[in-house]
Amino acid sequence: MKPTLTIVGDTFQWILDNTDSLLEQTIQHLNVSLTSVFIALVLWIPLGLFVHEHEEFAPPVIGTAGMILTLPSLALLPLLIPVVGIGVAPAVVALVLYSALPMIRNTFTGLDEVDESMIRAGRGLGMTDRELLFKVKIPMALPVIFAGIRQAAVLVIGITTIAAFFGAGGLGEAIFAGIRLDYPRQVLGATIVVSALAIATDYGLLLVQRSLPGGSLSDES
Amino acid sequence: MIELDNATKVYGDGTVAVEDVSFEVEEGETVTLVGPSGCGKTTTMTMVNRLTEISDGDIRIDGTSVLDQDPIELRRNIGYVIQEIGLFEHMTVAENISIVPDLRGWSDEEKSARVEELLDLIELPQTVADQYPGNLSGGQRQRVGVARAMAAEPDIILMDEPFGALDPITRQNLQEEFLEIQRALDVTIMFVTHDIDEALKMGDKVAVLRDGELVQYDAPKDLLGSPKNEFVADFIGEDRVLKQLTAVSVREVMTAPKDGDGAGERPLSPEESLKVALQRILQDGSPKMVVENGEVVGRLTEADVAAVAGARASEVLQQ
Amino acid sequence: MTLGVHASWVLSSAFTGWIDYIVANQDQFLSLLEGHLVMVGIGEFLAISVAVPAGIAATRDPRAARIIENLGAVAQTIPALGVVALTFTFLGLGKAPTILAITLYALFPILKNTVAGIQNIDDSKTRAGRGMGMTNLQRLRRIELPLALPVIFAGIRTSTVLCVGVAYIGVFVGAGGLGVWIQSGLTSVNYDVMLAGAIPGALTVIAFDRGFSVLESLVTPEGVSREEMADSGAAA
Repeated sequence: MKPTLTIVGDTFQWILDNTDSLLEQTIQHLNVSLTSVFIALVLWIPLGLFVHEHEEFAPPVIGTAGMILTLPSLALLPLLIPVVGIGVAPAVVALVLYSALPMIRNTFTGLDEVDESMIRAGRGLGMTDRELLFKVKIPMALPVIFAGIRQAAVLVIGITTIAAFFGAGGLGEAIFAGIRLDYPRQVLGATIVVSALAIATDYGLLLVQRSLPGGSLSDES
Repeated sequence: MIELDNATKVYGDGTVAVEDVSFEVEEGETVTLVGPSGCGKTTTMTMVNRLTEISDGDIRIDGTSVLDQDPIELRRNIGYVIQEIGLFEHMTVAENISIVPDLRGWSDEEKSARVEELLDLIELPQTVADQYPGNLSGGQRQRVGVARAMAAEPDIILMDEPFGALDPITRQNLQEEFLEIQRALDVTIMFVTHDIDEALKMGDKVAVLRDGELVQYDAPKDLLGSPKNEFVADFIGEDRVLKQLTAVSVREVMTAPKDGDGAGERPLSPEESLKVALQRILQDGSPKMVVENGEVVGRLTEADVAAVAGARASEVLQQ
Repeated sequence: MTLGVHASWVLSSAFTGWIDYIVANQDQFLSLLEGHLVMVGIGEFLAISVAVPAGIAATRDPRAARIIENLGAVAQTIPALGVVALTFTFLGLGKAPTILAITLYALFPILKNTVAGIQNIDDSKTRAGRGMGMTNLQRLRRIELPLALPVIFAGIRTSTVLCVGVAYIGVFVGAGGLGVWIQSGLTSVNYDVMLAGAIPGALTVIAFDRGFSVLESLVTPEGVSREEMADSGAAA
């Protein structure tokens, strides 16, 4: 058992001593995370839109996305490696898959929950379906859709730490190395940094979400 | 101007919502559609702008069938106001009002000029233009809803229980304001309501519907004076006489002034209701003169009122 | 990893290689699986024993409920690997620290759902109970818990799924479990071994998810619509 108080002090010292490599790993980490979130956005939000317009597809699509999310990352990543190799590739694929549920579900419910009366009024005034979608539904659903993106982003940052084990780089590497070399300061330090990264991302995106028109009402997922 | 010709709506599962409804709305007229819940009044009205597609029969606007027109264009030419109002919460009041002009490609100057004009018409301060619907009261929002419907200068406005969600006092204010707007503009209006008093007050003609069929179509005065059947009489209510007195104006009943008639004491104005007129007549028992813009234009006696509202009119008023 | 390794693996009896491996190493497989499930079981059990009472207590104090909600939101953003790393830092290697990590990670979904499940009960129902002269405890047992049960179960389902994931991560700090094969499979570039560690875990998770789903519907009182508060799982 290690004396816990000195560990905390040592850890912060370690962080200060290693800012360079930490920064490099953080950038690597963000690289993987942001790439994945971006690809996921481009894939899943349109799919969420599609599912909203063709509700019969909602249960299977959302159900599948949900099921994928239950798979432990340590189980999913190995499944991808024989197909795309190790390194950043399986990580990005897995992260994009994990992002599916929050993004699709939030896009779907966000659009669905737009007040009926607005849609009826819009239609009665002569708006086409497309105009309704882009001028009313999407703007109104934006905070909820954004909340989904935010959820996915936090998820992705967390799972990227594990992906380091399979060669994706990032802050997870420092954690793994620290465990391997029995260097608690490093383990704790890297954990603090990545947790801070996740919390900061969550909070930062929450502020953006709230600043969207209508966003201050939307808070949770 | 709007002609309903055996308009019928049958749904896929066989329910007949509207059956063979026929009536005509003249240009500039306001027709109220009234009836118990489920009678088909909203369905009938929404067949005019094709939010509900007519199953049989026809609806013609200025001679052209609505089925021959593109539904989107049709709706952009017709104003539409609903009970829940449905203002776009993410747009400012100005953006809400100018939505149809915007869809039609009006310039920014044209749009802001129109918004300014309409805000004056609905008696809201210009500062409201940049506010969001969330900050407005129920009455203010419905006014904006009405302005939004009128923005593209439609010839026809359809209103579906527009004042239904408001408290009685606001509702009355809006009704009165709307009557004024009506008089100022040259629009044809179809107005759905479940409230017979509102229907009688707002309509130049009233269409009473029941179970999808048109039961009676008459001016308020005639509807009150000669209800076609028991249903209509019941629907109007027991205080029919009082309603008549309130709904009919002096202008509709006054007779020509006799030579030598001066304005007399406490003359009446032509727009006042028979109720007010009768009250005044009964105060001193003598006939009253009707004056407009300083000129004597008519004469009203207790007998004149009784001819329309029935022999019991005075009795009812004195209760 | 060279293309050659890929190709040869894919061309060989790729898709069933992992099954052969499990069959050939049954004893080890069962022991790893057992170790994995034991960690999940203990961790989940501890989490439930702490979170449900705590959740019930929190609904009695609105301030506490809000504090928990905020804490929980922060806690859930800490990556699972981070939680395991933390317990390792203070408690060292082995199963015990990992079980603690599992418990901590599973706590909040259950806590959040217990609070939400009870708070979402229509006031009229608890008032009816009070009106009939029930004590607080009776109301809890007969009205609140039964009505909140489906939501609480949904939370248990979510957290159990999470537990399996965190248990996997325990392999890095010497906890054993199916992660052992994933790790050795990766380092020796043997996909069969790696998949033999991964696929059973995935199947277990799916089984748990479906199983709990059934349990949830059994536990839902008739005529009550089940409102799922929790996200349907988040991978560790």
